[in-house]
Amino acid sequence: MRVRLAGKWWCGMGAAAVASLLGGDPRAMTLAAASPDPASPPPSHPHSNLQPAAPTTHLLLITGAGGEPQYRAAFLEAGASMVDAALRLGLPKTHVTWLAEDPARDPARISARSDRAGVERAFAALASQAGPADQVLVLLVGHGSAQGDVPRFNLPGPDLAAGDFARLLAPVKAGRVAFVNTASASGGFVPALSAHGRVVITATKSGAERNGTRFGTHFVRAYAADGADVDKDGRVSLLEAYTFARRETASVYERDRRLLTEHAQLDDDGDGTATAEPDGRTGDGQLARAFFVGGRTVARAGAAATPESAALEQRKAALEQRIADLRARKSSMAADVYERELEQLLVQLAQVNRQLRGASR
Amino acid sequence: MRRVMPNATPNATPSLARLARAGVGAFAVGVLALSACAMRPSGDERADAAAALHAGRYDEAIARYTRLAAAPDAATADRLALLRALADVGRYDDAIRHAEQWTAAPGGAAFHTTLGVLRRERGDLAGAERAFEQALAARAPDSLAARVQLAVLAMDRGARDEAMRSFASTLDDALGSGGAPRTSSDLTALGTAARYLGRTEPQRFRDALRLYDLAIAADTLDPEPRLRLAELFLEKFNSPEAQQTLAPLLAANPRHAEALWLAARRLHFDGQPGAPAQARQALQTNARFAPAHVLLARSSLDAEAYAEAAAQAEQALAVDSTRLDALATLAAARWLAGDSAGFDAVRRRALARNPQGAELYAVLAAQSARNRLYADAVRFAAEGVRLDSTSWSTAALLGVNQLRVGQMAAGRQALERAFAGDPYDVWTKNTLDLLDATAKYEETRTPRFVFVTDPKETGLLAPYLATLAEEAYDSLARRYDYRPPTPVRLELYPRHADFSVRTVGLAGFDAVGVSFGSVLAMDSPAARDRGAFNWGSTFWHELAHAFTLGASGHRVPRWLSEGISVREERRARPGWGADATPEFLTAYAQNRLLPVSRLNDGFVRPAYPEQILFSYYQASLVVELMEREWGEAAVPALVRAYGDRLTTPQAVERVLRTTPADLDRRFDAYMRERFGRQLAAVREGPPEGDDAGAAAAPQEGNYYAQLARGRALYAARQPAQAVPYLERAKALLPEAVGPESPGWYLARIRRDQGDLQGAARELAALTARDEDFYDAYLAHAEVQLQLGDSTGAARALEQTIWISPYDAALHERLAALAAATGDRRTAVRERAAVVALGPVDRAEALYQLARAQYEAGDRAAARRTVLQALEDAPNFDKAQELLLALQGSGAGGR
Repeated sequence: MRVRLAGKWWCGMGAAAVASLLGGDPRAMTLAAASPDPASPPPSHPHSNLQPAAPTTHLLLITGAGGEPQYRAAFLEAGASMVDAALRLGLPKTHVTWLAEDPARDPARISARSDRAGVERAFAALASQAGPADQVLVLLVGHGSAQGDVPRFNLPGPDLAAGDFARLLAPVKAGRVAFVNTASASGGFVPALSAHGRVVITATKSGAERNGTRFGTHFVRAYAADGADVDKDGRVSLLEAYTFARRETASVYERDRRLLTEHAQLDDDGDGTATAEPDGRTGDGQLARAFFVGGRTVARAGAAATPESAALEQRKAALEQRIADLRARKSSMAADVYERELEQLLVQLAQVNRQLRGASR
Repeated sequence: MRRVMPNATPNATPSLARLARAGVGAFAVGVLALSACAMRPSGDERADAAAALHAGRYDEAIARYTRLAAAPDAATADRLALLRALADVGRYDDAIRHAEQWTAAPGGAAFHTTLGVLRRERGDLAGAERAFEQALAARAPDSLAARVQLAVLAMDRGARDEAMRSFASTLDDALGSGGAPRTSSDLTALGTAARYLGRTEPQRFRDALRLYDLAIAADTLDPEPRLRLAELFLEKFNSPEAQQTLAPLLAANPRHAEALWLAARRLHFDGQPGAPAQARQALQTNARFAPAHVLLARSSLDAEAYAEAAAQAEQALAVDSTRLDALATLAAARWLAGDSAGFDAVRRRALARNPQGAELYAVLAAQSARNRLYADAVRFAAEGVRLDSTSWSTAALLGVNQLRVGQMAAGRQALERAFAGDPYDVWTKNTLDLLDATAKYEETRTPRFVFVTDPKETGLLAPYLATLAEEAYDSLARRYDYRPPTPVRLELYPRHADFSVRTVGLAGFDAVGVSFGSVLAMDSPAARDRGAFNWGSTFWHELAHAFTLGASGHRVPRWLSEGISVREERRARPGWGADATPEFLTAYAQNRLLPVSRLNDGFVRPAYPEQILFSYYQASLVVELMEREWGEAAVPALVRAYGDRLTTPQAVERVLRTTPADLDRRFDAYMRERFGRQLAAVREGPPEGDDAGAAAAPQEGNYYAQLARGRALYAARQPAQAVPYLERAKALLPEAVGPESPGWYLARIRRDQGDLQGAARELAALTARDEDFYDAYLAHAEVQLQLGDSTGAARALEQTIWISPYDAALHERLAALAAATGDRRTAVRERAAVVALGPVDRAEALYQLARAQYEAGDRAAARRTVLQALEDAPNFDKAQELLLALQGSGAGGR
C-alpha cells in the first residue's frame, strides 16, 4: 500500500517534503496552509484542495496489565505491530511512545513501564510537545473493568479510571485528539472523555461487556496490514480503521458461532453519545474520517512542481467534488441517468490520474 | 408488525376478580371432589381407600370403596369415589348400574351428574341428557356441572348457539350470584364453560385458565382440573405447560389413564418417541379408554398403517359409538387408504352426530397434512371452516396448509382470521410472526424455480442454487418421467427456529429440510454449525420428494420417498447422501433395525432416537436393492403404482412380482452379501470407556478394537505404530468416515510423514463417502495443491462450499485456482461470492469480480461492477485502469 502511494501521489516532491509529510517533521510544516481547526467541519472530501496539509501526529500507545500469559503475549504483539505500523506510516520515532507492562520484553520499541506514574509522565510529555497544529492518537490495549460504574483501564499497579484520563488529556493542546480504548468494559470512556475535536472509540458499548476483547487486535491490523483502506485513497482513516476492526471482530465471533460480546462504538461530535456504525457523513464519524495516522498524504504541494501537474491536480479535485455531489443526489435520480453520469466522471478522473502518474515518472 | 399474545396470567374480568378474592371453601361435593376423603386420619378404611385411589391402586380402592358403599348409610362421597374408581379402570357398565341404583335411593340427587357422565362415556347421549336434567331438577349439589355438561352435549350435536348461550348464562349466573362457587368441581365446570366461550371471545381462555387454576387450588388432589388444564394447553400448542401441569398427577398416580393419554398426546404433538407406548400404558389401566385408542389410531395413520388405524378407531367406537374424534379418525383412515365408499359412510355418521361441527374436517385436514396430502388438507380445512366459522383451529389449519401448497396470500389471510379469533394459538402466532419477519425476503427466479432468501444471503446462495436446481430438476425429471408444477418454491432460513416454525409452527423441529411438494423449505447453511449438514445435498433430497410425491399423487409411502431421496443424493455428487456407518451396521448386526415392511415405523414411531437416521439409510439401501434386482425403472414404476392408489402389497406385487415378506427376506440377504465382513467386524459394538484402555493386542477382526488401539497409539504420539491398527480397522470397515474414522487418522499421519500421495488417497476415499466433513475436503485441496493438481484442489474446494459458503478466503482461493485453470465461469461466480459476503474492502472485491468478468468476456457486467467499485473508491487506481480498458481508451488496463 505504501509503495503504491509513493508512486501515485508524491512524485515530484523533494525527499525532505516527502519525509516531512510522512512523518510530520516540523520543518515541513511550512507546507501547511493553516492549522486544522477542530471546530470547523471536516472537508467534504479528503482530497479537497481546500483541505489543510498534514498535521503532525503523536502516538501514545499503552498496553496494560495482561494478567495471564496469553494476554501478555497478545498485548505485546499488538503493541509491537502498532509501533512498526506507525513508523512505517512515517511517524518519527520521537513521536511514538509505547508504555508496556514489562519494558524489558521489547526494549527497542517500549519506552517505559505502563504503570500509573509512567502514564502520567507520558501524558505530561505529550502536553508539552503537541501543539495546536498537531494531532494525538492515544491507544489503550488491555483489560478494563467497570467497578461501581467507574470505568477503568487495568495497569500494572493502580488502575486509571476514565476520569483520570480526562484529567491527563486536559492539558494536551493538540488540535485533534483520538482516544481509542480497546479494552473490555470500556464503553463508559465515551461519556467521560467526549469533547469537541476529539474522537473517542471504545471496544464495548458499556461497562457490562466484560469479556476479553478482540477489537484491539483488528484495530492494529487496520494499520499494520492491507484491507482497511476501503476508499482506496492510499490512507487509512481512523473511521476506516474503526469500521475494519468492528467488522472483522464481528466476523470472528460469527465464524466461531459465538455470541458477540463486544460492541464497539465511536463518538466524535462531542455529544457524549457514541454510534456503532457511523457513516462519516452526518453526526459521528466526520472527524474520524479525516484523521490519518501519519498525517495527510495528498501531495497538493506537488502541484507546485509543474504548471501541468498543478492543472491536473485542480481538475482532479474538481472531478472528485463532482462525483461526491453526484453521489449525494443518487437517491433522487433515475438509476440509468446516475450510472451514465457517474461513468463519465469516473472515466475523466481515471484519465487525469493516469496523466498524473505519467507525469510523475 | 409486532403480534402480541394476550397475557397468560392476565387481569381477571370483574366477576373473576371477585371470584379470586372469594377464596376457596373447605367443603367439597360432587363427582370430581373426592379427595377431601384423603384428608381424613390414616388407618381409617376411608382414608386407605382414598389413598389407594389417589395412588392408582385401583383394585384395592375398588375393594375398599365397595365395602364402604355397601353400607346402608354409606356416605355419598364414598359411593362417588367407587364410581370414579370403576370408571378409571373402564368398568363403566358396573359404575352405571351402581349409579342408577343409588339415584333411585334417598339422597340420590348427588349421583345424577355422575350417571350422566358415565352414560356419555358409553355413548348413551339421551340417557346422559336425562341424568343431567334430573340433577338440575333435583337441585343436586353438582348441578352446576350438570348444566355445563348439558351445554357440552348440545355443542356436540351441533346446537352451537344454544350451547354457547348456556355456557354464558351458567358462567354469568355462577359468578354474578354473589355466592361465588367454591368447589373444585364447580370451578372446573366453569372453566370448561369459559373454554367453550373462548371460541368467540378469546379472552375467555384466560378465564378458563384462571378457573382451572382456582379449581386446582381448591382441591390439589382432584385430578379433573389438572386434566382439563393440560388439555387446554395442548389445544393451544403449549406443550411445556401441559407437561408441567400433568407432572404432579402422574407422579402421584403413574397409572392414571387419562393423564397417560394426555402425556402421550404431548409426546405425539412434540414428535417425540414414546407416544404409542404411553397410550398403550393408559390402556393397561383402562382397556376401554376410547381416547387412547383414538391416539393409537392416529399414530398408525402417521405410520401409513391404515388398516391398523381403522381397527383402533373401531375399538374406541365400540366403547362409545358416538365419539366424534373416533369417527373422524376412522374417516381419515378410510380416506388415506383410498376407500371412498367407506370414507363416505363414516363421514355421514359423523355429520349425523354433528352436522355443524368442524371437528371431522379438522381431523381430516390435520391427518392429511401429516400424511403429506397438503392439497387435501386445504380442501378439508376449508370445508370445516365453511361449517363452523368460529373454529379458529380449523381456520389455522387452512392457513398453514395453504402456505404449504404455496398459496401465500390466502394462507396469510386465513391465519390472520384465525389469530383474530383465537390469539392464544401459538402455531398461528408464530407463523404470522414468521411471515412478517420474512416479508423482506427476496425472490430469485430461474426457469423452473423461485428461491426465497434473506436479502443478506441472496447474493451468496442463489448463484449456486440456480445451477444445482436446474440440473437436479432435469436429472430427476428424466428418471421419474414426471415434471412437478413450476415454479418450485424453495425457502431458505438462516435461523433454524424460523425453518422450524415454517414447518411445524413451533421451534425445536430437528430437521434441516422439508418438502411440501413444489414448496420446499430448509435451513440455510447459516442456520447450523459448519459441518452439521450439506445444503446442496439437502436441497437435492427435498427436490426428489417433490418428484416422488407428485408422481404418486402424494401417496408414496414415507420410507420409499425418503429412501429414494437419499439414493438420489448419492447419485447427484460423489460423497453426497448417507452411507453405512459403524453404528448403522452394529444396529443391523444386533437386530435393532426394522424389516422393510415396517420401515415407516422407524420414521414416525422409532423405538430409539437413532432409529430415524438409520431408517433413512436403510430405505436408500432398499432402493438400491430394487434397482439391482428389478432394474432402475422399477423404482419409478413403484412410485407410480402408489399413484394408482395401490397398497404396498399390491404395488410390490404389480411392479416387483413379489410380496413384502419376500422383500424383507431379500433385503436381509442383500445386507449380508454387501456388508457380511463389516457386520462381523462391528457385531460386538463399541467398547465401553475411552481409548486409554484399548487392548494392547486387540482382536484381529474387531473394527472397534483395532481402531481404539490405533487411536490410543496416535494420541500417545506413536503414529508409525498406530498405522497397522488403523489400516486393519479401515480394511474391516472401509465405509467409516468422519473425524474418528481410521482414514482420517491415516491421512494425517501420511501427510505428516510427507507421503502426500498416500494422504491424498486417504482423503479422496474419505470425501467420496462423507458429504459434510469440511476439514477433510480442505485438507484434500491442500494436499492436491501441493501435488500440483489445481483442478483436483478446485474440485475439493467447490465441495466445501456446499458445507459452508461463508469463508471469503476460500472463495478467493477457488477463484484464483479457477482463473489459473481457465475456468472463467467459476472464477466469476467465486468473485461474486466474495462480494456477497460483504467484505470490509468492498471496492477491492468488486474490482476482482469486474476483472474476472472482463477476463470471461462479459464486458457489460465488468463495466457495471467496476463502476460500483469506483463509486466506493473513486481513486482506486487498478479499477480506474480497468474502466479505461473497458472504455477502449487506454492500454494495459489490467
